[in-house]
Amino acid sequence: MENNTMKAAEKLLEVKDLKVSFYTPVGEVKAVDGISYDLKEHEVMGIVGESGSGKSVEAYSIIGLLQSPGKVIGGSIVFDGENVLEYDEEKMRQFRGNKVSMIFQNPMTCLNPVYTVGNQLMEALTCHNREIGRKEAWDRAVEMLKLVGINNAEKRMAQYPHEFSGGMRQRAMIAMALICSPKLLIADEPTTALDVTIQAQILELMKDIQKKTGMAIIFITHNLGVVAEICDRVSVMYAGQIVEQGSVQDIFYSPAHPYTRGLLRSMPRVDELEHERLIPIEGTPVDLLNPPAGCAFGPRCENCMKICLAHRPPLLDVGEDRHVSACWLHVKEMKEAQQE
Amino acid sequence: MGKMPLNLFQLNLEKIPGFDAMTAEDFSGATNEEKASMIETRPSVSYWKDAARRFRANKVSMAALILFLLIFLFSYLGPLFIPYNYADQYRNSSKLGPREFSAKEQLLQKAEDISDLFFATSLMPGSLTSLSRSTTYYFKTQGVTYSFYVEKAIGDSVLLFNRDAENKLTLIKEKDLGKDALDNAKTVEYSTEAIDTKAPNVVELKMLKRICPHFFGTDSAGRDLMARTMYGGRVSIAIGIIAALIVLIIGSIYGSVSGLAGGTVDFVMMRLVDIIYSVPDVLIVLLLQVVLKNPLQSWLDASPSNFARLMSNLGVGIISIFITFACLYWVGMSRIVRGQVLQLKQQEFVTAANALGVPGRRIVKRHLLPNCVGQLVIATCLQIPSAIFLESFLSFLGLGVSIPMTSLGSLCSDALDTITLYPYRLLAPGLILTLLVLSLNLVGDGIRDALDPRLKK
Amino acid sequence: MAGYILKRILVAFLTLLLIMTITFFLMNAVPGSPFLTEKSTPEMIARANAKYGLDKPLIVQLFNYIKNYLRGDMGTSLKMQEGTAVTKIIFQEGKFALSFKLGVCAVIVAVLIGVPLGCLAAYNRGRWVDSVLRVVTTLGVAVPSFVLCAVLLIFLGVRLQWVPVFSGSLDTWKAYVAPVIGLSFYPMCYVAKLTRTSMLDAIHQDYIRTARAKGLKTRFIIFKHALRNSMIPVITYLGPMTAGIVTGGFVVEQTFQIPGLGKYFISSILNRDYPIIMATTVVLAALVIIMNLVVDIAYKLVDPRISLTKGDR
Repeated sequence: MENNTMKAAEKLLEVKDLKVSFYTPVGEVKAVDGISYDLKEHEVMGIVGESGSGKSVEAYSIIGLLQSPGKVIGGSIVFDGENVLEYDEEKMRQFRGNKVSMIFQNPMTCLNPVYTVGNQLMEALTCHNREIGRKEAWDRAVEMLKLVGINNAEKRMAQYPHEFSGGMRQRAMIAMALICSPKLLIADEPTTALDVTIQAQILELMKDIQKKTGMAIIFITHNLGVVAEICDRVSVMYAGQIVEQGSVQDIFYSPAHPYTRGLLRSMPRVDELEHERLIPIEGTPVDLLNPPAGCAFGPRCENCMKICLAHRPPLLDVGEDRHVSACWLHVKEMKEAQQE
Repeated sequence: MGKMPLNLFQLNLEKIPGFDAMTAEDFSGATNEEKASMIETRPSVSYWKDAARRFRANKVSMAALILFLLIFLFSYLGPLFIPYNYADQYRNSSKLGPREFSAKEQLLQKAEDISDLFFATSLMPGSLTSLSRSTTYYFKTQGVTYSFYVEKAIGDSVLLFNRDAENKLTLIKEKDLGKDALDNAKTVEYSTEAIDTKAPNVVELKMLKRICPHFFGTDSAGRDLMARTMYGGRVSIAIGIIAALIVLIIGSIYGSVSGLAGGTVDFVMMRLVDIIYSVPDVLIVLLLQVVLKNPLQSWLDASPSNFARLMSNLGVGIISIFITFACLYWVGMSRIVRGQVLQLKQQEFVTAANALGVPGRRIVKRHLLPNCVGQLVIATCLQIPSAIFLESFLSFLGLGVSIPMTSLGSLCSDALDTITLYPYRLLAPGLILTLLVLSLNLVGDGIRDALDPRLKK
Repeated sequence: MAGYILKRILVAFLTLLLIMTITFFLMNAVPGSPFLTEKSTPEMIARANAKYGLDKPLIVQLFNYIKNYLRGDMGTSLKMQEGTAVTKIIFQEGKFALSFKLGVCAVIVAVLIGVPLGCLAAYNRGRWVDSVLRVVTTLGVAVPSFVLCAVLLIFLGVRLQWVPVFSGSLDTWKAYVAPVIGLSFYPMCYVAKLTRTSMLDAIHQDYIRTARAKGLKTRFIIFKHALRNSMIPVITYLGPMTAGIVTGGFVVEQTFQIPGLGKYFISSILNRDYPIIMATTVVLAALVIIMNLVVDIAYKLVDPRISLTKGDR
């Protein structure tokens, strides 16, 4: 999969030490607690994690869609050389949907039920480009619908969302997201709410479109199988932090972090000859109101050590091609190697 | 566990603060207890406690609750503190303004100022109508019994007792009441000799209660408006609560039966609800009021049972309000309950109970009702003010409670008849009715927000 | 669509028939003959009964009654205007027109002021405008209309003398002011509250997030995407609102001495003039039912999801 990433591609997005907190009546929830990563042009990055690990919040802060009481409290998000956190409201609006667009989890509720699909497609175009005439916008929308594989596009334009099936609506959402030819598409669990067969179709479509247009994608999911299908790189998130990041090969064939390994073991694999038992990760996800002092994954980790109880592990390079992982186990091994 | 294919040379030592200080002990495995101790468990709070906490934190609802309690206390305990009654018509006291006294009351007040004790005949409720010749009267104060008798029967009058006035009571006749009444007063002699207070011809005189101004004034028939407002408040609150309970009971039974039965039964029952829902309710309420009034009255007059007597104390108007509530207003509640039941029916624990062969009645009691209690509480709370509203509306139109019984609505209606002359009469009942409905609405909203934070906007 | 409307009209008609039947039986449940006065002798009652068909079996009477109504014959008044045709009293003496004019004004005021106020509150959520409006609307739905009417009467009519104390037959525009305010205040506050809630509800929907992600302007999102969706509950409320205004009319007409249908209805109840009670009930009920019908159809225009061809729900 990674062979179609251009090696010398420029950095498109650079997230540095991003911190997002929700100020709730019961206390501060650090939904995203200092994450950093780079995304090159044309690259497809998967962000994997359990629900509540902060993966969607992180994506929303890129596009300025955080709802109160959520607030970015630190770090920077640099897109194409500009820090989007410094954008004012109007600039942010022009940025959204134009340079970066987003598709969401539940296609059933993401389209306004009282307007036709065509209407909603066209307004995504016209709000960024006032000169565009109605006819032109209509043609472009029809073209996009055709691109995402909707038959009978002209007729479909005049229909309301409830006349579309779930998969069709997600296709329409993708068409809407792509209508301004953005450089980056953020897909927030785009296949989770769909039937398995439809999921495969949508994934295939996204892969196809990515190849055609060459845009970068941030693909947020809790499903590792989906990641293997489409992504070049993977970030694994836990409790608002990135615990491991690397290429798809690294993550799947040489996972470094116990949490990643746990995720892989809990995932069914069809390609295995022997049927391995699926092993779930014990324990419950961390309570973000009261995160543990040391490693957030410590309480659920089978390799948990004394040092994990008190200190948060730093993110360390553990391999080629920017493969990083945050675990004291690596330090332990190094210590042991040193002593030998 | 799989091998860790780490390339150790890649590790950047500078990234790890205090690497050299770390010991093997740091990297020994942590015990399960240690792991568990990392998670600070928050005390788990029960649903109801959590809801109560949320309600208390909501300032508006707490203020509304206090306001409601104040109105409640005013209505239910208030009558203990004033000497007036909702039904009694006080002579010469009609059409008084707020805090005003009638001429007699003004005189009595003067008498109160200048004497240690005073008695009045028939001016005030509970006093004697007249003093007769063949009776010995006595009164007690500070452990001493004083007695007297009169030579001639005395009609309506005031008797003043002054310790310094040498065995004499000052007597003011009603017809002399006026500016110089005290100057023209006659006297009656009394003695401190022991008398047989149990003898048949001996009557104890009770001291009059202090004169109490008519805080809200009086109506055209001389009834004290404050007392009437208090009793009106009682009636309105009681009607609201009882009507809401009636609606709750009928609505939940109907709704849960319909929801549990499902199929054709459910369909038929819900079509009936639809029809009742689309009928303009107030029109039917008005018709029912008309129809029920006479038969109810004759039934109450004829029936000797205690229940009927209690009912006739309430008055026909109030009972027919209850009946109309029982007939029409349960439909909303039954829809809510049915919706809840249908939703809960899908859930696993009910399916499990069903599979285990638990009888339907038990499923309702143990599983369904506790789960939809929140919705029921909210709907019931919001039903109370709407019942009060409807009652006041009917009373206003002259179709609710009947004289001398009163409610806030009928007080407003009375006030409106004379609104241009005595606008202040509307103030107290109108304000209390508004505040009552307002506070109940806000309390209901607060309970809804507290029980179901998702609904909060 | 046409099939649905036809079906809906049929249901409305059946509801009206049901109400007529209920009214008929309720009025028949009242003990004693409507002609029973101190002077009437048994022969007189029997003669009157025969004249009005009251000696026939109940079911025949019901049938006749419905048949007469369908022909536009609502009987004659027994007490209040003895012998006058009820239709003439209601429609030709201006009573219906008077109440209807007042009600239409109140509906217009309630919607045209209530909806913008609700939008204003939702748009300025959490700011002082929202707080002020919240206090006003919360109070507005707690003040009984008769209290409000009395206050209007005292202040506008008696103290300030801006408007006539009693509106009478609404001859000048000034006469409308107080009754229309009195009648429309509660529904207006309710509409404002409803608009605010459903607007805020709509703002939290996923499709608003989509609209924002597309880069639409906030104002555009509010007025295009949120407003139309949030109008759905408001439209649903129009049916109950009409019923509320019909009954509110009883109070307002009573207070401001307007000789409309509401006031006449109440006095016919107090005087037990049964033909008038029945006819007025049916007319007012028909009004409410027609409004419900209109609302159900208006629904379709706003919300395409409601499939009108499949069932009513």
